[in-house]
Amino acid sequence: MQTFKKAWRRNAVAYMFLSPWLIGLLCLSLIPMLSSLYLSFTNYDMFSPPEWAGMENYTQMFEDSKYLASVKVTTTYVLLSVPLQLMFALGVALMLNRGLRGLKFYRAVYYVPSLFGGSVAVALLWRQLFGGEGLINRGLALFGIEGTNWISSPDTALYTLVILAVWQFGAPMVIFLAGLKQVPMELYEAARIDGASKFKQFFKITLPMISPIVLFNLIMQIIHAFQAFTPAYIVSGGEGGPLDSTLFYTLYLYQKAFTHFDMGYAAAMAWILLIAIAIITAIIFGTSKKWVFYQE
Amino acid sequence: METSKAVIQANNIDIAKTEVKKSKMKLSIIITHIIIIAVGIIMLYPLLWMVSSSFKDNVDIFKGTSFFPKEIILDNYIKGWNGISGYTFATFFKNSFFICIVAIIGNVISCSMAAYAFSRLDFAFKKVLFAIMLITLMLPFHVTVIPQYIMFNKLEWINTFLPLTLPKFLATEGFFIFLMVQFMRTIPLELEEAAKMDGCGPIRIYWKLILPLSLPALITTMIFTFIWTWNDFFSQLLYLSDIKLHTVAVGLRMFVDSMGESSWGSLFAMSTVSLIPLFAVFIFFQKYLIEGITAGGVKG
Amino acid sequence: MKKLRALLFSLISVFLLVGVVGCSSGDSSKEASGDGKDEKVEIRFTWWGDTKRHELYNSIVDRFEEKYPNIKVKREFGGWPEYWEKLTTQIAGGNAPDVVSMHQFYVADYARRNALLELSDYVKENTINQGDFPESVVNSGKVDDKLYMIAQGVTMSGLVYNKKLFDDLGVEYPKQGWTYDDFTAKVKELKAKGIWGVQDFSGGQLQPNFRYFARSNGEDLFTEDGKLGFEKETLVKWWTMWDELRKAEAIPDAATGTEYESAPLEQNLFVTGKTAIHQIPANQLYLYQQQFKDGELEMVSMPTLDGGKQGEYIEGAYLSITEKSKHPKEAAQFINFFVNEEKALELFKVEQGSPGSTKMADFVKPLLEPAQTKAVEFIQSAVNNASTAPYSPAGVTELEAAFKDSASAISFGKMSVKEAADQFMKQAEGILK
Repeated sequence: MQTFKKAWRRNAVAYMFLSPWLIGLLCLSLIPMLSSLYLSFTNYDMFSPPEWAGMENYTQMFEDSKYLASVKVTTTYVLLSVPLQLMFALGVALMLNRGLRGLKFYRAVYYVPSLFGGSVAVALLWRQLFGGEGLINRGLALFGIEGTNWISSPDTALYTLVILAVWQFGAPMVIFLAGLKQVPMELYEAARIDGASKFKQFFKITLPMISPIVLFNLIMQIIHAFQAFTPAYIVSGGEGGPLDSTLFYTLYLYQKAFTHFDMGYAAAMAWILLIAIAIITAIIFGTSKKWVFYQE
Repeated sequence: METSKAVIQANNIDIAKTEVKKSKMKLSIIITHIIIIAVGIIMLYPLLWMVSSSFKDNVDIFKGTSFFPKEIILDNYIKGWNGISGYTFATFFKNSFFICIVAIIGNVISCSMAAYAFSRLDFAFKKVLFAIMLITLMLPFHVTVIPQYIMFNKLEWINTFLPLTLPKFLATEGFFIFLMVQFMRTIPLELEEAAKMDGCGPIRIYWKLILPLSLPALITTMIFTFIWTWNDFFSQLLYLSDIKLHTVAVGLRMFVDSMGESSWGSLFAMSTVSLIPLFAVFIFFQKYLIEGITAGGVKG
Repeated sequence: MKKLRALLFSLISVFLLVGVVGCSSGDSSKEASGDGKDEKVEIRFTWWGDTKRHELYNSIVDRFEEKYPNIKVKREFGGWPEYWEKLTTQIAGGNAPDVVSMHQFYVADYARRNALLELSDYVKENTINQGDFPESVVNSGKVDDKLYMIAQGVTMSGLVYNKKLFDDLGVEYPKQGWTYDDFTAKVKELKAKGIWGVQDFSGGQLQPNFRYFARSNGEDLFTEDGKLGFEKETLVKWWTMWDELRKAEAIPDAATGTEYESAPLEQNLFVTGKTAIHQIPANQLYLYQQQFKDGELEMVSMPTLDGGKQGEYIEGAYLSITEKSKHPKEAAQFINFFVNEEKALELFKVEQGSPGSTKMADFVKPLLEPAQTKAVEFIQSAVNNASTAPYSPAGVTELEAAFKDSASAISFGKMSVKEAADQFMKQAEGILK
């Protein structure tokens, strides 16, 4: 009886702390999510009431060549941009965490690109850098190399967007920095006295200590990259060209919903995406027991 | 203060090392600085280009060959600030600040509460609820926008700040919950055990121990909430129709019309101005971010 | 801990401060508007555009409210792409504005899905007066023979060139009434003088570019019953024409063309001086003229096929009322004010095209800048050649995307003209079923 009462009390306290989130979930998040799930089984043009369509939207996807193209584009983008961005962010965070003079200034400077978000200014800038007559090609010309038109060749357009993602690495960097700040100094002192090299310190202390943060950044950046939408506006004005080479998954989903008025199909696409991300996240969580260290 | 003592000690050990090593260190520091500055210039190029363009006239921005303006024109700033139909950017800034500050308060309180439960308390259905929390992050915005709009319309919240602020008090941004969970899980358990010995209940532990020790995560939450809310253009446009309620992000888009002529000069001028609070907030909060660990380390 | 508390405290105090200021200003405005004793009606009007247009339309709405003190008009506005996403969401969400700006690209999608109100009753009872509208202009607002849109401004497509550039190069100006053969010859001639003749329009815009070509061939994009209105041969001819120009390097290569396709006006190939001729809707002439500090811009009609028909059809910006509007009568009054009253038109001038009413078009003429006058004259003479154009069936946006894809497959050398045409015809069949 005593233990039952205790358990009840424990649960009550926990649910009290969870209550704002639970209310938000039930009242605000769940309704739109479940309606989109329902809509994915209907034909819905948004102006007339949805009509039941069964699995039609889901089966249709596998015959849709544009859909398959968008899957390919997004997968490539995720596989390239996530590791590159995280490595870059961690590298810069480590460099900025060294207690250099002028650190605050540097850190702010490095965050600037991320402040821009997906603003129009970035689109103009990207053309200035990677366009046919852009800065990059002018630089290459100095060495006698004739560059191609990076942002509008089907073979290279996507890679300029990977670079854009790496360039806007500010958010994971700040999170890494905050994580590095959480590592107790004492550990390094002890290691230094033991004569451990910098290299060893990084792998034996830093990385394990910030592994929960690495996990967080990894999962969030994967989710983020799968949902990448605005970057495509930068090279193709939101059309996904040239030749569908920047047709991101969510961009195609958006086109289906808001320019082709096929919200049912878009909702089905969204749920397939959700399932894909969920599986990947679950796998990462599964492996995380081996490489993430918690204080438990 | 223990940590800083340790740092001083460590420095003393360093000083005792040989001269050769010292000069090697110096060289590596110089190289680090050079790399940081070189990469920094690439990072800053867009900002510099935008600021420089904000002083040029509309034709010079794209046709001019020089990076620097031929003559400095303040017109863009004056015209830009004047906004639309008697509503200046002062109104837009006020609205943006209001939404951002409310959002910060909401996110910090509600997300830290949920994160505390997920990371430190034991309860039924914990894993299931945590998975649901993550799943709410995985659905693209475009398919939930219409049901959400219908819902807010039924609540008669359209054209008020409520759709943009109230949900933050209900921890709808799982990103921050997850972030804080990961941070709270790095806090040593011994500290909590000690507090329990002193007779602290979960509420006191949350308030007196976990929150202060998660300061870097809270600061990070504040920074990101501010920046993302500030830049979140589409939901502000969708839910705030009345110009009195317009925000900076909405105001900025007004300068651009992809079907015709755009006031690029004014856009760049006001974008520059709108970066100032973002930059200031970042500088201000990162100070706390750095000091956070010392503040947390003082008392266990 | 102290720091955290201090931080939270300062945040909350700033919040309260802003809150108090915000609320107090909110209250005062409520008092001002809620006092009227008459039966006050509120309608909402939404449009797309840039700051200048927002300024202009706000003033027009102010004048309307002066004239009809019992009607209050709430204004909502934004840029082009987000305008449509917001409007769709509002209509789907049951909260649509009463009067909405409409465009030919989208009207079929909205009207055929019953989102717009049929307006003929309001025209019959003369709430909206279309007495001074040419029949072709009235008809351009119809979908399936039902009136859904009232023309705010009409415009016509044409080609623009800089006279000074042609003088400098020693190339003769294009002549009114020229053919596609003349056009390709001119483009090649310009190439010989060292400048690209024209941007690659093979796929970028199904309308108006290919549409003029098809219409000149006696066909159209669509038939009245929403099927594809042209034969594969026409398409092959069109893409072959561009392919030859591309191979002769008389037009930009595929990558360059794509790069500039989504560029803003100020940065496009024509404005930056890389091409000599450009296709624009005539109402934009003065925007382009502003970009050319030296040299006068001139417009010439779209080419026709040798011995073919005139391709002209009316384009423009329109006003519609949404199906669920609670105050359609007041909304109609508002539209009438916008298109027929001097007080509105003296501000509007030719903002989104020459006014639909000929009476109003004559009224605004003396108020115009030279480039605007030129545009109005071009539009008025072209309107005379205009014939009706069937409205796009639902699914046209998807079709446009497919058209562009196939055209780029040719330009990037991934497909032959014939393969691309086959692919497009097959896709079109699927889209327009």
